[in-house]
Amino acid sequence: MNVRFGVRQVTALVSVIFGLVGACQMPSKGPGELAWAMRYDPKTFDPAKVDEQASEEVRFLTDGVLIRVNRRTQQPEPELAASWNVSRDGRMISFRLRQGLRFSDGSALTSRDVAWSLRRVLDPATAAPVADEFLAPQEVKVEAPDALTVKVHLPKRVIGIENVFDEIAIEPAERPSEGKVTSGPFTVVDYKRGQYVRLARNANYWRRDAAGVQLPYLTGIRLDVLNNREREISLFERGEYDLIDSLPPDYFGLLQKKNPRAVLDLGPSLNTEEMWFNQAPGAPLPDYEKAWFRNRAFRVAVSQAIHRADLARIAYDGHATPAYGFVSPANRAWHNDGLRFPHEDVAAAAQLLAGAGFHKSGSSLVDAGGHAVKFSILTNAGNAARLKIATLIQQDLAAIGMQVTVVALDFPALIDRLMHKQDYEACLLGLSNVEPDPNTQMNMWISSSPNHQWDPSEKTPATPWEAQIDKLMQEQGTALLQKNRKLAFDQVQQIVADEQPFIYLVYPNTLYALSPSLVGVEPSIFQPGLIWNIANVRRQGTK
Amino acid sequence: MKRRVAVVMLALMVVAAGVIVMLPGTSYKAQDREAIMSGATAHHWVGTDDVGRDRGVRVAAAVLLGLGGAAAAAAITTAIAAAVGAAAAFSAPGVASVLMLASDLFLSLPWLFLLMMVRSFLPLTTSPLHSAVVTFSILAALGWPACARAVYRGTLNLRSSEWMIQGRASGLRNTQLMRRHVLPHLLPLLIPQFLICVPAFIVAEANLGTLGLGIAEPLPSWGAMLLELDNSASLALSHWVYLPVVVLVMVLLLLESLTAEV
Repeated sequence: MNVRFGVRQVTALVSVIFGLVGACQMPSKGPGELAWAMRYDPKTFDPAKVDEQASEEVRFLTDGVLIRVNRRTQQPEPELAASWNVSRDGRMISFRLRQGLRFSDGSALTSRDVAWSLRRVLDPATAAPVADEFLAPQEVKVEAPDALTVKVHLPKRVIGIENVFDEIAIEPAERPSEGKVTSGPFTVVDYKRGQYVRLARNANYWRRDAAGVQLPYLTGIRLDVLNNREREISLFERGEYDLIDSLPPDYFGLLQKKNPRAVLDLGPSLNTEEMWFNQAPGAPLPDYEKAWFRNRAFRVAVSQAIHRADLARIAYDGHATPAYGFVSPANRAWHNDGLRFPHEDVAAAAQLLAGAGFHKSGSSLVDAGGHAVKFSILTNAGNAARLKIATLIQQDLAAIGMQVTVVALDFPALIDRLMHKQDYEACLLGLSNVEPDPNTQMNMWISSSPNHQWDPSEKTPATPWEAQIDKLMQEQGTALLQKNRKLAFDQVQQIVADEQPFIYLVYPNTLYALSPSLVGVEPSIFQPGLIWNIANVRRQGTK
Repeated sequence: MKRRVAVVMLALMVVAAGVIVMLPGTSYKAQDREAIMSGATAHHWVGTDDVGRDRGVRVAAAVLLGLGGAAAAAAITTAIAAAVGAAAAFSAPGVASVLMLASDLFLSLPWLFLLMMVRSFLPLTTSPLHSAVVTFSILAALGWPACARAVYRGTLNLRSSEWMIQGRASGLRNTQLMRRHVLPHLLPLLIPQFLICVPAFIVAEANLGTLGLGIAEPLPSWGAMLLELDNSASLALSHWVYLPVVVLVMVLLLLESLTAEV
């Protein structure tokens, strides 16, 4: 017998083998079940201890909360609490629970469970990250005067206190179960480290649709632990996965070509990509470099020399918006529409540098002391768009004579240099903003904060403008009137645009891939953008 | 015959790469931002990469840099192997044992981690050219032990040959014996070693490049260019993405055929 193998046959054989291997490794998807990938294993299933995205996703899907923030309107809506009331002085919030609430194991959910869950979160021994949002958690008092009422007494007013309850899961009192007994739409039924988390429908979930059908519609969810974009895209294309959260821009076009209805670009997200120079006085850098980085003219000139439109078009395939400030235009409530910022202008940048004592020697820029201006931009390896941005900036800055080296490090090495050794010159990273409220950015702008990246943990503000930012951030955090908060925060945005401690580059767009067979999804730029109303999501043709 | 063809083809490839890189108006790092991931055009004969750099010029520069760097590293590693192997053979047994132990130690080193360590100690402002020099220097410094053992054995055999005994009887010193008699006799061993090292170092550099540990951007390296193949979105945009891997395989096949003929 004469058997001939052509390229097609070999490709088909290889595909079949890989398909079989893949199929063996992956549990099958049941009817009415959704599946998608999470990048890494959840660190914890204890809803009180959640501090990273994978755990947060599981918490969101499994746990019931008193108030849920609608990701479309950004307004708090009643969930387990039928209603709530904040006192006039903002120091007391009382909740009235719905009647007949039950946990997934059938036991009754009462104010005792709510009070216990809140006290557990506020207890310093739990080390719940959300506790910090109460400002002085150890002084908060919780009482349950009757089976349906819970009162929370705060030592001082906390702005937007309702939204904090969106992050606090209500668990059975004295019986924390790490997601196995919940009051949310799903419960954790199976977890295999490095493979998947499987959730099943909570048959006792309180919510019903308009026709009286009990929610959620889905029978379950499978979250695969998969940190391989290529494989994730391929599984989505094959219908194994139903959605992709934060789709990389280069894959957007690829999926769009195959099925335009499967991809969504919601426009600018709340996130920013930015670069900054190390201004820490203790950094192990030569004094002349520190002098460059502390020089406002130097930073503004760098900002003016960068072609942000090219960054958005090339690095993000057009799925990003040039950024000049730290508040995205998507954050309509807090964006400063009247922001004045240094416009892109290479000639103006050169002029500014000349005024600050820099001059050209051949094609290189040198400072007044004769030192050639060369520095490295540190970024994290593995982010293709960010590496492209760094390469584009390298050429942009070469136009004004700056010699830039791009260094991509793995994340632990990068964090070590940024946070511990402060051994770097410039850094390019992105910031994920989950909440639109300025209070969530407090730790970035207050000069004494360790996350005040350009000069962490300042004992006293190093410059008058940093002192001014401190003052204004405190003002916006304590002002009683929204317009006063906005006024103060607008000024912070203006100071940052004037001084350029962070040089903002782009606002990446919110990109999703979503199976067209899903009904009820209400995509939002706020996390978790595709699954925030998971109880209402169903597959077309199912009930 | 095959070897001659391979030499001629390699030479032609190097000359062509040299011509492409030297053509006026070309640069491996210039970004044409209006031609991102373009196909073949009059301006970019084999298209551009994801930031608009001419793919042909970058591949040509990678050929020159890869071959040049690997050949230099192979020459250094062969020289170190010859020196260590011959020195051990002409030394007292105790010294020979120490030298061979040192080569065994080098063989057992986890070289990838060593490379990562060395790279992490380099200043962040290390220029791309320096990063290339450091990468190939490390490869040269780590490649010699296996060959040193072979040289040691070969030199021991030569040392007990009759003409060596006669040379020694004629009053020639060890250094003279090594230079005039041992080295010429070791050439049939050293040349294949050199030829084996060249493709091995090219592949090693490509592997390091895919891990981000090789030659720094914007200098073109095989590893960085091969990384483009890891993205199905890029593959769908232009078939010229495959050019670096095609040229790399051609270079490796030609180098392997040189080795096979020796």
